[in-house]
Amino acid sequence: MDPQQPEPVSYLCGDCGAENTLKPGDVIQCRECGYRILYKKRTRRIVQYEAR
Amino acid sequence: MDRPSGTSYQRFPRVRIRELKDDYAKFELRDTDASMANALRRVMIAEVPTVAIDLVEIEVNSSVLNDEFIAHRLGLIPLTSAAAMQMRFSRDCDACDGDGSCEYCSVEFHLSVHATDSDQTLEVTSNDLRSMDPKVCPVDQARAYQHALGGTDPFGANASNENRGILIVKLRRGQELRLRAIARKGIGKDHAKWSPAATVTFMYEPDIRINEELMETLTVEERISLIESSPTKVFELDSANQVNLFSLVVVKNAEAYTYDDEVIKHAEAIGKPGLVEITAKEDSFVFTVETTGAITAYELIMNAITVLRQKLDAVRLQDDDGDLGELGAHLGGP
Repeated sequence: MDPQQPEPVSYLCGDCGAENTLKPGDVIQCRECGYRILYKKRTRRIVQYEAR
Repeated sequence: MDRPSGTSYQRFPRVRIRELKDDYAKFELRDTDASMANALRRVMIAEVPTVAIDLVEIEVNSSVLNDEFIAHRLGLIPLTSAAAMQMRFSRDCDACDGDGSCEYCSVEFHLSVHATDSDQTLEVTSNDLRSMDPKVCPVDQARAYQHALGGTDPFGANASNENRGILIVKLRRGQELRLRAIARKGIGKDHAKWSPAATVTFMYEPDIRINEELMETLTVEERISLIESSPTKVFELDSANQVNLFSLVVVKNAEAYTYDDEVIKHAEAIGKPGLVEITAKEDSFVFTVETTGAITAYELIMNAITVLRQKLDAVRLQDDDGDLGELGAHLGGP
């Protein structure tokens, strides 16, 4: 992992549901509808929990 | 400490089984004391091993419940654990690192449910869990299997008709749940999900004595009101057994007595103290045992005795002037 070139992360718009790819420093705003609430996607990795 | 050497406090308890079903047992334990009865009860609840889901690896979860919530619910599902006594605890299993699926200490489960184009909500239940070991599976799957084989359902008729499993989560159209779970051996002391006991209770057997001389001084109405003063049906009038044309008050069911003292208070209130005397037999116990279905009530009792013996062996094997001597000194002994 190179800290100088972070991977762009994709988010879902809270209003229209469009996928948005954001890099650090980008304005948090949907490219399709301009809505300012974006949701992060669930990890594609397997997550482990203790059943307690 | 200064007991004469060679004195033995050994007793020889007797057990009489009154009722034995797959998930229920009632038995009498006699000729022993409360410490032994309580030790047995506590071992049944907290130290008889079973198998339960302990680790959950979630691949996809788009349901409304979060991962931790689902993992917790999976842990609470009772699994058939007849083989648990022979299994190893994963922490002292040499054959594996205690994390993977290993035939000696763990069982793997898979669950994969996708609510495709259905208008109704899809219920994900314990029946959707796929076990990698046929010996260990959710109890209602085992029950349904037994029922399908044409066997009679030992858990009662109504349980078999509607075997819908234990609800884990409900899925809306398009939602998906996919996971791998690892079940491990454990005991109720670590987490209640491993407890095979639904309820274990014991009561002292009551010793009820009716003062017949004093009873003869009572009118029929007084006798009936005495009988009715007990909130449970302990006494009855024996019409076949009459003295001076009055029916005798007899004990109908001593064990229905809940040590509520109501009859004794009633006897005092009508000015006849000592009419009924009730004491607890300090060496007789009536046990009621119910299991979750993980093991049968019979297995629960027998495994509890085995576990209790193992614990006593551990004490016996310690050298006498070692830990026990230290304990004696600590308690202000010689």
